[in-house]
Amino acid sequence: MEIIEEKQDTVSVFRLNGRLDSNTSQGFEEKVFGAILDGSKNMVIDFKDIDYISSAGLRVILKATKALHREKGQIMLCSMQDYVKEVFEIAGFDTFLPIVGSMDEALKSF
Amino acid sequence: MAKKYYSFELKNDLSELEQLCQTCEEIGRDINISDKTIFEMNLALDELFTNIISYGFNDQQEHTIKINITIEGDQLQMRIEDDGVPFNPMESKTPDFQCGIEECKIGGLGIHLIRKMMDDVQYKRVSDKNILLLRRKIKKKD
Repeated sequence: MEIIEEKQDTVSVFRLNGRLDSNTSQGFEEKVFGAILDGSKNMVIDFKDIDYISSAGLRVILKATKALHREKGQIMLCSMQDYVKEVFEIAGFDTFLPIVGSMDEALKSF
Repeated sequence: MAKKYYSFELKNDLSELEQLCQTCEEIGRDINISDKTIFEMNLALDELFTNIISYGFNDQQEHTIKINITIEGDQLQMRIEDDGVPFNPMESKTPDFQCGIEECKIGGLGIHLIRKMMDDVQYKRVSDKNILLLRRKIKKKD
């Protein structure tokens, strides 16, 4: 999986490309928590080019959400394919995670 | 539709997830099912495979996980067999995710996804092997 990290004002943006599974979730976790350690409180994760996620990927998102919550920050997820979104819904994560249609929408929320 | 049968093996190494993905896609194309069904088939096998290699083996040896997939009519059946310690993943509790972020526990998530995506899941222990049988109805692509 490819991870592109960038800053949009004070928001850390992660654009993911590929599969977020047990093989790739650790690398993703390191990047996300690296940003949190560097003081990032607001984060957008772009799922546009993610065509697979397993519970290993969900776990990283949940850990990041908890960490940012404690920092009074916020995480936004955007541009998910239907069946990826469905995994978040089945897991019940959509009840506490904001999932929006586009990057613009995500950035506007901060 | 005639009965179709596929069989493959994975070693107990996470890098095998790539092989699992490719095999699911090949089978999906062969029987002409939707991308969503391929995704769910891949996800269910991924979660069980990852579980097995995380908890199933106490030694440092190489092990083989055998997967059989049968499609008959609109029924998909997947059988996963390993020679790890006796372990029925379906006995694990379903996590409660309606509890707010801080209380939300992360164990059992993969099994929860399998329960929701499959119609039926059965576990049995037969001659030192764990056997899991997953069943679900599939839809063909239009």
